[in-house]
Amino acid sequence: MSAKPNIPDHPGSRETSGHFLELHNIQKWFGGVHALRGIDLKLDLGQAYHLLGENGCGKSTVIKIMSGAIAPSEGEIIVEGERHSAMSPIQSLAAGIETVYQDLSLLPNLTVAENVALSEQLVSGKGRLGRVFDRNRLKETAATALKAVGLPSDRAFLNTTISDLPLAARQLVAIARAIATRAKLVIMDEPTTSLTRREVDNLVSVVERLRQENVAVLFVTHKLDECYRIGGHAIVFRDGQCVAQGPIETYTKKQIAELMTGRSIGSERYRSGHAAQAELLTVRDLSVSGVDRMNFTLRKGEILGITGLADSGRNELAMAITGVAPARSGSITLDGRPVAIRRPADAIRHGIGYVPEDRLAEGLFLDKSILENEIALILTQLSNGFGVIDKQAGRATAERLSKEMRLNTTDLDLPVGALSGGNQQRVLIGRWLSIEPKLLVLHGPTVGVDVGSKDTIYRAIQALAEKGIGLIVVSDDLPELLQNVDRILVMNSGRVVAQFDAETATEDQLYQAMLTTKLETAL
Amino acid sequence: MSPTQLEELQQAAPVRPPFSLAELVRKRPETITFTLLVGICIAVAIANPAFLQPSTLIDIGRASVVMGLFALGVFIILAAGGIDVSFTAIAAFTMYSMTVLVQSYFPGMPIAVILLVATVGGALLGVINGLLVHHLKVPSLIVTIGTQYLFRGFLLSFIGTVWIMSLPPQMGAFGRLPLLQFESANGATVTLPFYFLVLPIAAVITWWILNRTLMGRAIFAVGGNANIASRLGYDLRKVHVFLFGYAGALAGLAGIIHVCANRQANPFDLVGTEINVIAAVVLGGAKITGGTGTVLGTMLGVLLIVVINSVLVLVGIPSTWQRLVVGVFILLAAAFFVTRQRKK
Repeated sequence: MSAKPNIPDHPGSRETSGHFLELHNIQKWFGGVHALRGIDLKLDLGQAYHLLGENGCGKSTVIKIMSGAIAPSEGEIIVEGERHSAMSPIQSLAAGIETVYQDLSLLPNLTVAENVALSEQLVSGKGRLGRVFDRNRLKETAATALKAVGLPSDRAFLNTTISDLPLAARQLVAIARAIATRAKLVIMDEPTTSLTRREVDNLVSVVERLRQENVAVLFVTHKLDECYRIGGHAIVFRDGQCVAQGPIETYTKKQIAELMTGRSIGSERYRSGHAAQAELLTVRDLSVSGVDRMNFTLRKGEILGITGLADSGRNELAMAITGVAPARSGSITLDGRPVAIRRPADAIRHGIGYVPEDRLAEGLFLDKSILENEIALILTQLSNGFGVIDKQAGRATAERLSKEMRLNTTDLDLPVGALSGGNQQRVLIGRWLSIEPKLLVLHGPTVGVDVGSKDTIYRAIQALAEKGIGLIVVSDDLPELLQNVDRILVMNSGRVVAQFDAETATEDQLYQAMLTTKLETAL
Repeated sequence: MSPTQLEELQQAAPVRPPFSLAELVRKRPETITFTLLVGICIAVAIANPAFLQPSTLIDIGRASVVMGLFALGVFIILAAGGIDVSFTAIAAFTMYSMTVLVQSYFPGMPIAVILLVATVGGALLGVINGLLVHHLKVPSLIVTIGTQYLFRGFLLSFIGTVWIMSLPPQMGAFGRLPLLQFESANGATVTLPFYFLVLPIAAVITWWILNRTLMGRAIFAVGGNANIASRLGYDLRKVHVFLFGYAGALAGLAGIIHVCANRQANPFDLVGTEINVIAAVVLGGAKITGGTGTVLGTMLGVLLIVVINSVLVLVGIPSTWQRLVVGVFILLAAAFFVTRQRKK
């Protein structure tokens, strides 16, 4: 322990004489890769921390070490004065460290009550399994914790299976588990990536309550705006080292982004080009479940942003245009000719590409190489009369595409699953370039992508527009839309409720349109 | 949090949905099994009232014991997301080795000790499965295919290949020991053997372990998602060892009961009936991908298969059709479960 005087460090923390958790010179090698190069961290109860950094900077390695999932190669973990060279998951939980991973660590086949409160009994029994569990205590603990996060705590809800719950409620269930185990430190790994803005608001208020109850909260996130809203300390990682620590208000967004990437990044508008006059796409009275008679047009080389809450119909619209979930009625005209899009193959034939939101599940063959992913759409063109693929030509095409997308690696045989989120997205966009598309629909193009990669993706999007490709960007990342597109359509209840010129619009205007019109239409 | 946000969340959460058949089937898929079972019984009873005689029902009960014990073992492993095909080999191994052991070395061993030793022996073989699954990190299907050959090969190479037709007397006596006995209409004596009790007892113990102990919840947790379960502090090694050990114990017990009931020990017996048992468990509503299912469903699945196997003959359907019927049922049930889930 450091020879610290016995004074509380922060007025908010009642009983701390030292720090709740200290990491001391943590080193971690994965094979020959030096993932963590001497990390020193001190976390205090009742504080909020934001662990920031690009993909691959060592953020997730550090939280895995804290939660006992992996052991450091060197260094010490000191929890409430107790020194460990490594911790097991059960030790970490018993010490009051609860980690809410991006997948929320919920067991889909168990009930809400079990997910919330079983851990508490497991941890209090030091992980012994040969015991009868206390069913009454299970229900009581679960009900109390659920109330604390604002979820219902009646019997029906306690007995609901997790797989039947909507995502936002699952997030809160995971936090309720942290409350039930009386966690002192809650680590949240990218908690807001898949939440709508309204759900984020709710999460922020729950976090505030945790802090008031003297719980430390450590966020791992890409969304800087939310960090500023929550406040607290910023911890910035780069290349396995901690490059900055301090109250988040003392840094500007730009400074943090530069600390993360090690280079300067502008937050200015990326959109520079101008759309051509020729009309590319006309959508008339398009309806599908969740979308009610949509009308809009898109010009060649134009970038159109579409936003709205998760249930506004924006997702359904994107899927209807690209044939993933075809439209029920209405017409789509592309390049002056009406086109019928019944399935993705039709869309591809007409030169319409779709980059889905969940690129891992819907877009990429993760265990296949970059090469195989890039040429997946043009296998017929690459093969001769006998169906044999011309590998040389395929490789040449893949090389050209990855150069065009500024991929971070030259090894085309690397499996896509091994790439960072930003590179994966570039592989996916690159694949669409192989069919020389007329129209690309990008759905959440930078979800789960770090600041540095966002920059490259945005530049790529602008380059595509330069070439005369029409782009539709469906996103709830409002700064992203304002920086990149020409026009923004705001959807609500399946209709366009407002249209903005991206150059002059503000985030607040957009947010207002997304929310308030819903109330007005309801009234 | 503002009240409106709270309301929204509460609306988002399913609160006491109105009763519907589809919902019931989705939550408790064994209702399908039960319906099929009742349907068949009614059809058979109409076609041939002899079905409802006590002797037929007792035959069904007797025939369910060994398969039921196996099925409980398969179910508990399936619940944890694994699969076991070595249980018949474990049963064959323990039953034949025990018979040889008692006959040649300990002729006076009491039946209670025989049952106990067989159960413990089965558990030890199961633990080998569990350790291999855990440490090799290979799917349990592959591991247990390997150990099935291993156990059976060891049995036939080193212990014996001879049919034992005359059992040690205490084993034969246990197989004949009556629980219920009465005279049927045609004057024959009908006996429900004492060993039948083993199945309901084992079922209740299994239910209790799965639903009341942390180990039971850990088994389902692992079946839901093994990585997450391990992150939450469940010790996967303990779970694997317990799981396969318990299934092995049930298999050992089933093996010795099989010998006592048939009054002979055939080392070539049992192996090859795995699919029948797995079919019963799947028909009972357990998902082959793990994490779901109930003991009650498993027992209904076993009854369904036993009824199909033993009763179709009563209505004049040739025994070669049994497989056909079982196959159709499995596909029907599977299609039903799947469409229900998609509608959700």
